[in-house]
Amino acid sequence: MTKTPYAELLAMLSRHRGVVGSFVVSERDGLAVDSNVQIGVHAEAVAALAASLHRKARLACGAAGCGVVTFLRLDAEKGGILAAGRDDLVLVTISEARANIGLLRVEMMRAAKALT
Amino acid sequence: MMTAVESWIEEPLMTFINDSRVRIAVLLESSGRVLAQHGFTRSIDVMSACALAAAIHASAAEIGRQLDGTPFKTMHHPGRERQIFLGELATGHGAHILLTVFDDATSIGLVRLYFAELSRRLAGAAAATSSAPPTLVDFESDLNRNLAKLFGRI
Repeated sequence: MTKTPYAELLAMLSRHRGVVGSFVVSERDGLAVDSNVQIGVHAEAVAALAASLHRKARLACGAAGCGVVTFLRLDAEKGGILAAGRDDLVLVTISEARANIGLLRVEMMRAAKALT
Repeated sequence: MMTAVESWIEEPLMTFINDSRVRIAVLLESSGRVLAQHGFTRSIDVMSACALAAAIHASAAEIGRQLDGTPFKTMHHPGRERQIFLGELATGHGAHILLTVFDDATSIGLVRLYFAELSRRLAGAAAATSSAPPTLVDFESDLNRNLAKLFGRI
């Protein structure tokens, strides 16, 4: 299988403590361009829903006059979803509660700048 | 408004439409006979859409057989503003085809996700109902009866 340009980036994110999976998703299509996920993660479903979430957050921020969405964090009982986008591509990470969100945020913001 | 010829189709299809935010959805048999529709206002449009969807599905299935040894079961065509997704659903009452049209209110990823869910729900609903499998004894009168039911003429 051919490696995409995002393989190393996703592998780097997935090595963080508490990260269950990470994806690069097309926001418009809701399809994963590349992913690095643990067994048991329903990658296609998460990719489609996270892309939709990011799109709606972007539209909401636009409507509210907040400007461009730079980072999206969704906290849940056992973990959360983090997303950072650039143009049509969104970098999504699924994390457990024990993950270091601050560090992940820095890494994702840096990585999102390189998304093309 | 969604209308269906058989009641077991209603809940799964309505859930699909609400979740996936598609604009148009038509459920039909592989013969082209309509079973449910959402988004059309004229029966002639449904009839045309069903005939075309059945033909496209049959062609895609045959191309799949020729190329890959197995029929292609889903097809996606993105247009400039609207997109079409066509997919086969296996239920206990035979193969059905879902034709759906959507715009940028949703995405192909979401449509595929909820299509898989619809397939499971329809199979479950079909198993719980005792409707007879479709017959092609009198296709035209069945088609006309179904269209009349969907558009409130009977």
